[in-house]
Amino acid sequence: MDEEPERAKRWEGGYERTWEVLKEDESGSLKATVEEILFQSKRRRVIESHEQVRLGMMRHLYVVIDCSRSMDDQDLKPNRLTSSLKLLEAFVGEYFDQNPISQVGIITTKNKRAEKLTDLSGNPKKHIDALKKAVDSVCAGEPSLYNSLNLAVQSLKHMPGHTSREILIILSSLTTCDPANIYELIKTLKSLKVRVSVIGLSAEVRVCTVLTRETGGLYHVILDESHFKELLMMHVKPPPFDLETPSTTPFLETQICLSLGGYFCPQCHAKYTELPVECKVCGLTLVSAPHLARSFHHLFPLQAFTENSVEEHQGDRFCQACQGELKDKTIFTCTSCQSVFCMECDLFIHDSLHCCPCCIHSQIGP
Amino acid sequence: MKLNIEGLLVYFPYDYIYPEQYSYMLELKRTLDAKGHGVLEMPSGTGKTISLLSLIVAYQRAFPLEVTKLIYCSRTVPEIEKVVEELRKLMEFYSKQTRESNNFLALALSSRRNLCIHPEILHANIVVYSYHYLLDPKIADLVSKELAKKSVVVFDEAHNIDNVCIDSMSVNITRRTLDHCQNNVDTLHNTIHKIKETDAAKLKEEYRRLVEGLKEANVARETDVYLSNPVLPDEILQEAVPGTIRTAEHFVGFLRRFLEYLKSRLRVQHVIQESAPQFLKDIYDKVCIDRKPLRFCAERLQSLLRTLEITDIADFSAATLISNFATLVSTYSQGFTIIIEPFEDRTPTIANPVLHFSCMDPSIAIKPVFQRFQSVIITSGTLSPLDIYPRILDFHPVTMASFTMTLARTCLCPLIVGRGNDQVALSSKFETREDFAVIRNYGNLLMEMSAIVPDGIVAFFTSYVYMENIVASWYEQGILENIQRNKLIFIETQDAAETSMALEKYQEACENGRGAILLSVARGKVSEGIDFVHHFGRAVIMFGVPYVYTQSRILKARLEYLRDQFQIRENDFLTFDAMRHAAQCVGRAIRGKTDYGLMIFADKRYARADKRGKLPRWIQEHITDGSLNLTVDEAVQLSKHFLRQMAQPFRQEDQLGLSLLTLEQLESEEMLQKIAQVAHQT
Repeated sequence: MDEEPERAKRWEGGYERTWEVLKEDESGSLKATVEEILFQSKRRRVIESHEQVRLGMMRHLYVVIDCSRSMDDQDLKPNRLTSSLKLLEAFVGEYFDQNPISQVGIITTKNKRAEKLTDLSGNPKKHIDALKKAVDSVCAGEPSLYNSLNLAVQSLKHMPGHTSREILIILSSLTTCDPANIYELIKTLKSLKVRVSVIGLSAEVRVCTVLTRETGGLYHVILDESHFKELLMMHVKPPPFDLETPSTTPFLETQICLSLGGYFCPQCHAKYTELPVECKVCGLTLVSAPHLARSFHHLFPLQAFTENSVEEHQGDRFCQACQGELKDKTIFTCTSCQSVFCMECDLFIHDSLHCCPCCIHSQIGP
Repeated sequence: MKLNIEGLLVYFPYDYIYPEQYSYMLELKRTLDAKGHGVLEMPSGTGKTISLLSLIVAYQRAFPLEVTKLIYCSRTVPEIEKVVEELRKLMEFYSKQTRESNNFLALALSSRRNLCIHPEILHANIVVYSYHYLLDPKIADLVSKELAKKSVVVFDEAHNIDNVCIDSMSVNITRRTLDHCQNNVDTLHNTIHKIKETDAAKLKEEYRRLVEGLKEANVARETDVYLSNPVLPDEILQEAVPGTIRTAEHFVGFLRRFLEYLKSRLRVQHVIQESAPQFLKDIYDKVCIDRKPLRFCAERLQSLLRTLEITDIADFSAATLISNFATLVSTYSQGFTIIIEPFEDRTPTIANPVLHFSCMDPSIAIKPVFQRFQSVIITSGTLSPLDIYPRILDFHPVTMASFTMTLARTCLCPLIVGRGNDQVALSSKFETREDFAVIRNYGNLLMEMSAIVPDGIVAFFTSYVYMENIVASWYEQGILENIQRNKLIFIETQDAAETSMALEKYQEACENGRGAILLSVARGKVSEGIDFVHHFGRAVIMFGVPYVYTQSRILKARLEYLRDQFQIRENDFLTFDAMRHAAQCVGRAIRGKTDYGLMIFADKRYARADKRGKLPRWIQEHITDGSLNLTVDEAVQLSKHFLRQMAQPFRQEDQLGLSLLTLEQLESEEMLQKIAQVAHQT
């Protein structure tokens, strides 16, 4: 299919026994069901993400990249490190697109140490440059989960309480070399409300399961590169955010004056060349109006489309968005304009467009 | 939920049930209906215990006259505790559902301290204890002999039951035993002397009783009050104790003579093997001890100990052992062999003579159990091939069934690795045991696996010696160093304290993400009693086929006996024994349906049909033709894929309807048909 250019070539994959998929689903088990389960979880995610109301729109996210020996493994092409960095570049772009008032920092870990590649900042270019440079680094030794988390926490704990604090770990290794008991650190993370998510590149590791469960994050293990991308993009959406005590600090100050080649802080008139940024002088968070507008849609998410089987559908068997034939077993109907979409378009509308094209069309049209 | 199993109302304390639990209960009910014995195999982690308990308790309530008591035998204390826990849950459920107070009494005997329980045991509806209370004649006599005939006996984890039977009937006598016994005899002599001065009437009373004969015991047996003791043969109950050992002094003298004779027999330079009749002839020729008084020895000693009112019976264990030996050797002309070894095989220079009086026929110990109780259920996760157990235990089951796990996802992945990457055949067989290439490839396999398997790996070797050799060789080749980059290494030793320490640290390393490998030995402590759930055992690697040490004389004698008496070929038995241990080892990794694990058989011999066919059905059905003779690389690829698949989210809803059923689902026509179909295959 054309929609999957990212997928590795057949001969590059592992030993696949495609014939077995067909053979085994007689008893209702095995791989076919695993695929089914995957499909279900894809759907569930779309539905779930619309049940949240409170979202941490101001996000502070540290991405930890494992650069240990196991990143040399060539099961992702050309190797795990290059592939991951490339996907992360796309991730950073997408992240700032969807969360314009958020910040990202990057940490790498190898040789039992953790180092900051970039500090928390809202400038995508800086991160992407750093990621590009990191491709040439050597993968060696073991990663240290403890050191990376600790390093991230040192910066995150100073972030204001009304923003969300997150860590996303790309972990390839199955072992970690820690200087102290990691379970103590997990307790600290929990008390600081830092949400840790992990994407595993090889298999499920117990300590990550506990870590993510305790801190309320997500834990996934990739199947192949396209699945990796999918999992990564899941973290683009703001996570549910638990505001136990409504923050007393003013949320945002948006009065920004644009002047030649820079922005002035409305409070102290310090000048900044780029936004968003936290004012170094008065500590105010500075964003521009378009930034705010673009984060706005998270607060008014598009209603989930209802799922029906294709048999029940009367009328044309064409997707209203892509005009393609409805081949899948299930179709999706917009609740307000009753237009019908295919699975792919449904995902696209909810993940990227954030509004139903047919609804917009009817609003504008005669 | 409340189930209807062929008309029987069963209270099941959970909201969901596995389809195989339902079939299991069905088979169990049929066994009870037929008042016969059964052999049932069901994988661990599928809720065997609760199925057994809930069905039998329901049966007891429905037919209180048919089944009066459940005797549940398990192997270890933790297992017994688990049973009690499940039982408690069931009882709570009962009282909640029926809203009436519980009149069920259950009793668990977990340690030998609690031996004094006679009055309660008679009234308890359920008794949970260790095998030994029923099988070991020394303990069974104290604990179990008053159990009612209409009881149901369950042996859980019974894959080793033949060995338990044999151990309970075998006697090993060393010089130390004889020295202890000598002390015992001296004590007896002194006590008799003392009593004679103070209370001679007591001894006279005993003498009178012995003349009367053991009528009491005989009456008891005829009226079917007691479980018969295999040490106490039928004939002696009808006779009086022979005159030569009737008085206390004479008996002590008799014991002295017997002891002296045994001592002389232990003074040997070469190995002697003889049958019981040969031994009896020799003892008659040398010290003029007849067969008859020997047979009464055990009973006579008990009587004497009672008369002398000796409270601390444990002190007399050596004397009891010797007298039991005397009775056994003179009672059974078949099924036993006597082997006297002047030294151990490993240390041929140190004199350490041992007299093995070894039982070769497990059916002797278990016979009274089968004869007495109307239903005996033998069950375990690994009982394959099923038909061998009735043969070696000499009974006729009415049901034999093996159940598999119904799975919503294939959570076990058995792989047979037969070749290294350089195409060298991998095998632990004797000829290639020292082969450098094989050892290197084994090391390579472990190293590759340590890089791709998360958390814990358990590796089993065939013996301690083999493990030591291999590990030493790996160290020299630098393989250990490479492995340690991925995971820590822990080793099981023969020292129990050391091993439990290693286990503890192993679990800690699995828990906090460092990852660990436990090197252990099939038939060792780790392979039998310890479960490696979830991350504690993501992969089990079985290096070689765990054949028992075939040079042992006891084993040779046993094999010969099996061939002559039961027509079981040596090779069949050895393979069966090896495969049940291999299955036990690899079965450690999967302890339930949400668990998953790799099972790697690293020996090309596993691919042969005669080996593979002896694995339990629930493992066998996942071995595809494609995973029969893999190289290390291929195994690594498959494992990687498997582990990634298994790491995908797996929820209870995914299982529902397939491998986990609600009551409605269970009662649907379609599901009942499916279950009937599965049962039909067995």
